[in-house]
Order: sequence, then C-alpha cells, then structure tokens
Amino acid sequence: MLYRRWQLLPIVPVLVLALFLMGCPKRPATTSAAAPAPGAPAPGAPGAGPAGVMAGPGAPGVPGTPAPGAPGAAAVTPARPPAPREFTAIATLQDIHFDFDKYDIRPGDAKTLDENAKWMKANPNHLILIEGHCDERGTNEYNLALGERRAKATMNYLVAQGVQATRVTLISYGEERPLCAEKNEACWAKNRRAHFLVKAR
Amino acid sequence: MPRRLLLLLVFPCALALGGLLATPPPARAQAVDVFLNVMAGGSKKLNIAIPEFTLVAGRDAQGLAKRIPDVAGADLKYSALFSVVSGSPPLPATNGETLKQMLTEFAASGAHAALHGLLTLKGDRAEAEVRLYDLTNPEQRLIATKRFELRAADGRRLAHKIADEVVYQFTGEPGIADTKIALVCGGGQSKELYTMDYDGAGRQQLTGNDSINLSPAWSPDARSLAFTSYMRGYPYLYRLFAFERRPIQLLAGFLGINTSPAWSPDGRHVALTLSKDGTPELYVLDVATGAVRRLTRHPAIDTEPTWSPTGRAIAFVSDRAGTAQIFVMDAEGANVRQLTTVGFNTQPRWSPKGDAIAYTSRQGGHDIWAIGPDGSNARRLTAGPGSNESASWAANGRHVVFQSNRLGGWQLLTMLADGSEQQPLTRGGGECTSPAWSPRLP
Repeated sequence: MLYRRWQLLPIVPVLVLALFLMGCPKRPATTSAAAPAPGAPAPGAPGAGPAGVMAGPGAPGVPGTPAPGAPGAAAVTPARPPAPREFTAIATLQDIHFDFDKYDIRPGDAKTLDENAKWMKANPNHLILIEGHCDERGTNEYNLALGERRAKATMNYLVAQGVQATRVTLISYGEERPLCAEKNEACWAKNRRAHFLVKAR
Repeated sequence: MPRRLLLLLVFPCALALGGLLATPPPARAQAVDVFLNVMAGGSKKLNIAIPEFTLVAGRDAQGLAKRIPDVAGADLKYSALFSVVSGSPPLPATNGETLKQMLTEFAASGAHAALHGLLTLKGDRAEAEVRLYDLTNPEQRLIATKRFELRAADGRRLAHKIADEVVYQFTGEPGIADTKIALVCGGGQSKELYTMDYDGAGRQQLTGNDSINLSPAWSPDARSLAFTSYMRGYPYLYRLFAFERRPIQLLAGFLGINTSPAWSPDGRHVALTLSKDGTPELYVLDVATGAVRRLTRHPAIDTEPTWSPTGRAIAFVSDRAGTAQIFVMDAEGANVRQLTTVGFNTQPRWSPKGDAIAYTSRQGGHDIWAIGPDGSNARRLTAGPGSNESASWAANGRHVVFQSNRLGGWQLLTMLADGSEQQPLTRGGGECTSPAWSPRLP
C-alpha cells in the first residue's frame, strides 16, 4: 500500500498545498511547552483536601479546591474509618484462606471465623479491619476486586455470627502485600487470605 | 465538504487526509466503533536517507546535528514503515549542484526519500528546518518544509516531532514518537508512578509517597493521569498532572475500593470500580462535579472498564459467568454482551481505532490476545515465554506496550498490533509494570 502511495508521491505536495489553502487545522510546528520535570514528587495527599475529611474532587482548574456542594461531597461517608496503620494484629485472630480465584468461605475456615467472632463479640469496644489478599497470579486490578470480595465475604460471615457491621472496615490489597514470595502453590495458598487487625475505640 | 470529496477522488492517501480534516470525528455520528485504519497492511518499507543535520548558526555543544537525525531515524525504523539510511555527512545548506548530486547518490543507493535538516542554535533554543525530498523522480521534488523549535535541552523531543511529521507526510496520520508511557516501578512495600518517553528515554518519577500506586490511566489531553493509591491508607482514586506543578486531586474516596480508572474519550468522565454499595461494580464519575452514576448491578465482580473510542460502549471484566471474562455494554450500562468464554480473561483495552480489544488471557500462562468488539477474530498476540500482561495501545493503534517477566523480573516490551516485532523497552532499574501509553502530546 505504502509503496503504491509513494509512486503517486508527486501529488503529495499538491495535497499539502491544498490543505494549506483550505486552512485545515494543522498541528503547531513549534511548541514552547517544554515539559517541566516534576522532579519533586507532587505534593502528597495531605493538603489536597482537609485532613480527615474526604472532600469531593477539586473543582476543575482550581487545584485542591473542594467542589462546593458537589455531589461528590454527598459521596463522603459519614463516619470515616481510622487509617489502616492505627490497627494492629493480635494472635487470637487467625487468618482464613481461599481457593484460587474464589471468595467463598471454606468449611474449615468457617470454624476459624467462629473463633474470631467469639473474640470480637467478647471485646465489643474494638474496631476490626479485615484485609483481603490474593496470590500474584491474575492481574492487579482484578485482584483488587477479588481481595475486596474476600474481605466482604469474611465480614458477611462474621456479621451473621452476631458481630456488629458498624465495627468492621474492609481493605483490599489485591496481590500487593504477599506474605510469601516464592512461586509455588504452597506459597500462593498462604497469600490468598483474609487477615484481621483491631483497634480499641 | 465538496473539496474533501474531491480529495477523495484524487488520491487514495487523501482518505487519510480527509479523515484528519474531520478530526475529531463527531462521536454521535459514528455508526460503528471502527475508524479507518490508514496504516494497516503496509508491506514494503519506504527507504529514507537521513544525513547529519546541517548546522546553519550557533554552537552545537550537545551534538544535536548528529543526535537529532539519529533519534528521528530510530523513530522511523520503529514505526516499521521505513528503513533508514543514516550516518552520511551533512548536506549543503543551500540548494545547488552539490545538493542535487548528493540526493542523486542517495537515490542511486536505493533511497526513496531524503530528510534534510537545517539546525539553528540560539541561546537555549534549537530550531530545525526540515526538508523532505522525493527521490523517486529525477526532479528530486521537495515534498514539504517544516520548522520545529524547542529548548535545545529537548533535542530528543525535537527529533520525535520531526519523525512524526515524516510519518504524517507519507501516511496522512502523524507518528507516535512524541508520546509518553506511564509505568509503575518498585517492589516490596512501595510502588511509584513514573513516566518516560515512548522509547524508554528520560524516565521521571511522578509519585514519591512510599505507598502502593497503581493503574495509571492518561486523560485524553495527555496532561494528567488517574491512578489508584494507598497514600492515605485506603485505595482511593487520584489525578496528577504529569507536566505541571499542581497538587494531586482526589477523584474518588469512597469506602471500599476505588480502582481501575478509564477516561472517557471526551475527558469529562472516568469509568471506575467502586465497592461502596456492596460488591465491586462499575460507575462513571463526572470529573467536574464528582457525581457518580452506577452502570452495573450484579452480585459478581465487575471491574476494569475500557471505553470504545466513540465513547458509546464500555468493555469490562466480570466473573458473572463463573470465571473472569470480557464483556461489552452500552456506555449507559445496558445491552451487556459476553465476548470471551475460554480461559480467564482480564485487562481489556479498547484500541484507539476501535476495531479491536486487547486483553490478557490465562490459559496456562498469561498472554496478550485481541478480539473484535463483536466477539469475532480472537487471536493470540504473544505466546510466552513467561507471563505477558497489561497491554496498552499507542495512539495510532499500530503498537502495543505490555509487561512481561520473560527475562526474569517484570519489564516492559512493545510489539506491533499483530504480535510481531516484540522488543524490550525497559531494562533493569527495578521491576516495572502497568504501562499506559499516552495519547499524542499537546
């Protein structure tokens, strides 16, 4: 194709000229938009919005300004959960594990969850963070959703056992926080987990 | 429009030029999501001679007279449309017998065209006037003359712009050398966003928050990236301006996951995955107001949206059929159709030309596949070794960047849209994944 066009090349200047005459939209031949090096990391999240408040997205063109009365603000959850780093793991609460690409609770893991639920009900002034994790197979974005489903399935089971839903926060790490780095089934099985952390209210 | 019609009659290449005149196409007027692919099917390469540029004025401390033609030549080779003869000494600045004789020599050695650059350096500015000659006839006709000016420090970008212009002159569509690729690099506890030129040069760090930053997605104006970050603890969606000193904006900070951003072609919306209402579902976020509109309602996982270039359809991943598969629906969420059935399929990416959706298929290992938006012509683009994932299209729909661990750790590679010409793009410097090829830069 290309070669045939080339043989007709003498016509190209005519066409180019025609384009000029027609005043067609042309790409600028020059630009002064030298890309500044964002050398320093862009200002971090703190400062992009009032601390502790999840503002709606900034108004367009006005960096960092919360959109006034934007519907985004309505999306703000009334009670923000504490940051994940405020929670700590305790030995009593055991991880549960999942089959590959699955998020249903296996019978053996249900027993572990029953024990965990007992502790949670006996310690009502502790908030609970459930982390959902995946193994490295699968792709990042899908695994974020899969980890979320695992955390959610775990929460649903605990709530059915009488744990107050309002005490529970979920976080999916997808495949980003593996416990075990080897590439074999034993290791992958350890990574497909729901992990529990607590924080006194 | 009559004039455009005349062009269509005159010359096949005018099809492409006509297309260019009409860009951007009125999205609503498109009957189908398939644009004219002017570059497909080129079999024979055009041989272009690119001698060293001629220094007209100034002092060439950075050796741009040699570096610019080298980089532009590499761009043209990479396009797979050209073969390049480089390294010959500069041509005389003025048109005369010597110039004519040198062009004749290029023609005799098989060149179909020649690119002659005249370089002027003044202060920190570099100006290149480039002249493109047709060597297939004895008149050595001047096809086009163009001027480019940038900071001398941006010599590589100047070269990329020249190469894109050459591609435009011969195909009617600019090249993709003046583009960026965003990527995620790191390991252990942190992954940060970076950008680099499309050829891997000039890597720059964009985030430095020591947390997990994922899934960069370029806005259609190539100025900003939407991405997921754990910088505030939970996975929220943010926007950063890649080339401007502006604060990072929070796009979505709902309870649960805020992931998998995909910009609508008009840049006004971002499709994303939220789990705030229970399970991971697809929503469309209005970037200006922050309002979200829910698209899917299904107890299964719905995630990884990608827009058709007309903005009228969205492909996505769902496990509603048992395992993860690729689906397509109208942009309003109706009319859901399943595209794939075999294997475990994720990471759909709609080609900017509309005629294909690339995706990652796990049937044993992971490989990149492509399929028509109607579910036809599923084809494998990579066949190992290792895992090959996370495809991203160049703006012309001819090149694809992807991640592979075929050489050990994760690195980026590129290939042509038919799977040929697979070649490494990044080497070393930590593991890098999740490439996002930018639209053409403004």
